[in-house]
Amino acid sequence: MSQEVEETLKRIQSHKGVVGTIVVNNEGIPVKSTLDNTTTVQYAGLMSQLSDKARSVVRDLDPSNDLTFLRVRSKKHEIMVAPDKDFILIVIQNPTD
Amino acid sequence: MPNKQLQQQQQLQQRLAGGGAGGDRRKGSKLKIKSVSKSNIKDGGGDADDFDAWIKSRQLLKPDDQLELTEAELAEEVTRVLTTTNTNVIHNLVVYSFKDSAFVQVPIAGNTVTLMQMEGSALHIDSDEAKIQMEEMGEIGYPLPTLTGSFIETEVEDRKSRIPKVEEEEEEGEEKAAKQAKEADEEMPEEELEGEEEEAVEEGAADAEAAAAEEGGETAGAPTAAPATGGRKRKLLNQFNFCERSALTYTNPRRSVETQTIPPPRSQYGANVLQWKIYDSYAEDFEQQQKEKEKKDDKRGGHRKDVGAKKLDKAAEAELLNKKYLKAWQILERMINQNIYEEIANDYRYWEDPADEYREQEGTLLPLWKFNYDRIRKLSVTDLLFNPMYYDLFAVCYGSHEFMKQPNEGAICFFTVKNPSYPDYIISTESGVMCCDIHPTYPFLVAIGMYDGSVAVYNLRENYEKPLYLSVGVHNKHSECAWEIKWGPDMADGEINFYSVSTDGRVFNWVLMQNDFMITTITTLFLTNGIVEGPDGTEVQLRSCGSCMKFHPTNPEIYLVGTEEGLIYKCSIAYSSKYLMTYNAHHLTVYRIDFNRYNSNIFISCSGDWRVKVWEDMRPEPLFIFDLGSSVGDVKWAPFSSTVFAACTNEGKVFVFDLNVNKYKPICVQAVVPKRKNKLTRLVFNENLPFLIVGDDKSTVTSLKLSPNLRLMVKPPKKQQYLDQNTLQVQKLDKLLSLVRELPNDMIVPDAPTTTKS
Repeated sequence: MSQEVEETLKRIQSHKGVVGTIVVNNEGIPVKSTLDNTTTVQYAGLMSQLSDKARSVVRDLDPSNDLTFLRVRSKKHEIMVAPDKDFILIVIQNPTD
Repeated sequence: MPNKQLQQQQQLQQRLAGGGAGGDRRKGSKLKIKSVSKSNIKDGGGDADDFDAWIKSRQLLKPDDQLELTEAELAEEVTRVLTTTNTNVIHNLVVYSFKDSAFVQVPIAGNTVTLMQMEGSALHIDSDEAKIQMEEMGEIGYPLPTLTGSFIETEVEDRKSRIPKVEEEEEEGEEKAAKQAKEADEEMPEEELEGEEEEAVEEGAADAEAAAAEEGGETAGAPTAAPATGGRKRKLLNQFNFCERSALTYTNPRRSVETQTIPPPRSQYGANVLQWKIYDSYAEDFEQQQKEKEKKDDKRGGHRKDVGAKKLDKAAEAELLNKKYLKAWQILERMINQNIYEEIANDYRYWEDPADEYREQEGTLLPLWKFNYDRIRKLSVTDLLFNPMYYDLFAVCYGSHEFMKQPNEGAICFFTVKNPSYPDYIISTESGVMCCDIHPTYPFLVAIGMYDGSVAVYNLRENYEKPLYLSVGVHNKHSECAWEIKWGPDMADGEINFYSVSTDGRVFNWVLMQNDFMITTITTLFLTNGIVEGPDGTEVQLRSCGSCMKFHPTNPEIYLVGTEEGLIYKCSIAYSSKYLMTYNAHHLTVYRIDFNRYNSNIFISCSGDWRVKVWEDMRPEPLFIFDLGSSVGDVKWAPFSSTVFAACTNEGKVFVFDLNVNKYKPICVQAVVPKRKNKLTRLVFNENLPFLIVGDDKSTVTSLKLSPNLRLMVKPPKKQQYLDQNTLQVQKLDKLLSLVRELPNDMIVPDAPTTTKS
């Protein structure tokens, strides 16, 4: 990753309420994470499944359309997912912090 | 005897016919048949049919080229003549004898050829010597197993060696007989000789048989004796089951070799067929077809391109991935910021101050985000500009208005409202950036003017850290600070160009050529009565120092230039030597001129002399004068109303006027930054949404939302409901102007400002 990307990532981690960031490669393996191992694996596995499903939904409705981002708002967190063909970026934020 | 002869005959015939191995095999089979037929006769039938059936299948192995002989031919006797003379013996071998000094005949060597002679140490078990030996060794009857192994082996060896001995003896016998025959009577008939020979052979064979029989007897006798004498078991030796060595072929030892191959790769495949997957594969297929078509077309072009393209591919791919990463992270950052500043974001869009309903002629400004770039804290905001394409993206120029303490760094940052925490683009420069402009048709092209008088153009789309164009050299730039820069309409031949004004009193036009700028001086701003006597009787024409510039919104040739002397010149690009109009506007530097959005004849100016003035084209006296109580850094007409403008002052206050509401007082005065610490420098309205941003001298940009009272729209009159807001705004301003114009010039209270209570 280029320096610019690294900087952005560092900045994101310093933002208020950001619990963790995970970078998952195209094989579904987390390559970068600020969370502990088990949580990372869990998030990576579940989120890649969810984003696959979500993409499927979007594309089934209109094949020329595509999923770009996914935000899951829960009672405790907001999980933001940027799914791409080559990677999935996951950010978990606690917006009430 | 006759049987033997028959066999010999058959052999001969076979050799004549096919010879070699085929013949031998044939012989074997024939012999077998014979033996079987004999057994048939002995058994007298019985299950002979079965045997025959089995044998017949064997008989089929008959060489194709075998000579077929009739019974008569088979019965025919063929005589063979064998001579006793050894043809290989040389009779006349001579050796030179030195003694006699003559050749001497060597005596003929005998016919005997000894191939091998060996004294055996083995004794026959039945012989007397053996018996004596056994008795001496204390063995009873037969040797011990350990000994017998070697003993019997030697015995076998002995036997084997004895067989050729027998043959030798035979030969010897033959030879002896032959010698005897020779000696006795050379004319003896050959048949007799043959007969003798055969007899000798017969005798030899009989001897061998006898020996075998003896041995058999011995072995047969031995087992019977064994249990009686010793308690040990002895391995039974079958003396009949031996083969001639000549008949044995080397049997290759059996080996089992196993190898394990790598199991073929297996994979499980499962997929769902969804509508979009079908769509994708079709799209892919279509793309490939297009590519193939292109390839066909390209074949004429040559292949050099492909090689270069492949090399670039990897680096390009990585860069592409990086860009994707960056974009995704940036969007995520915006999301995070949206979550953090959720309340502000809601206010920004939806908050309408309900208190405005109960206030008359007053409004408020709601502070929203503050925009900061961490690394720049001490520079002041020298210019603000919204991107014409993306309404929420704006450029912030960082420089300094402290001309005694100019920093040797500057920057231009692009912030978006979506991410208040960090600028989207950061461009650092070596000198303070004083102004910038974004091209209206190419919103990624940014021109900046710097304190050192140089200008640069950046392309935000790619490699934006480095300037696309940079004015280099002493003559290719302004000699002093460039105050304002403005993209002009494209030239007749499509070249992109911009104008800049500087303290050095010149207006330049910069045309972007292939690699460099082409500079044209549009105007040199000479003072009208500025001729001063120089040394030695020369005359120096003083220039006024340009400090701001504004192009006419509809006529691209007309522009206004504000100067440090407080004058405003109306100039035209067409005439560089003359001013169309000179307004004696201010007492101090004119900081900003702005044309009204709805009426291009109306413009506003602000200055360091605390005043804001509204002007009408070609009217030397201002229409309105407002005194704001401190140096006014910036003034701008609002995009949504023809009578609303905002100004910011050094005291850290923002003033919003609506001439339609109040011609004398601002409808909103709000301190945005602390008075003592910060000064407000620049201000700009957003084009789409009712908010404005102000910059201060501590590198902070604050966004402020206009409350509903500050953006009152004109209600269309009942009779003219069809009129749109634009015409209504124009009408509103016209009405206002007519009121002001009606007054005689001296009634406008020239230059007697209505000082606002601040």
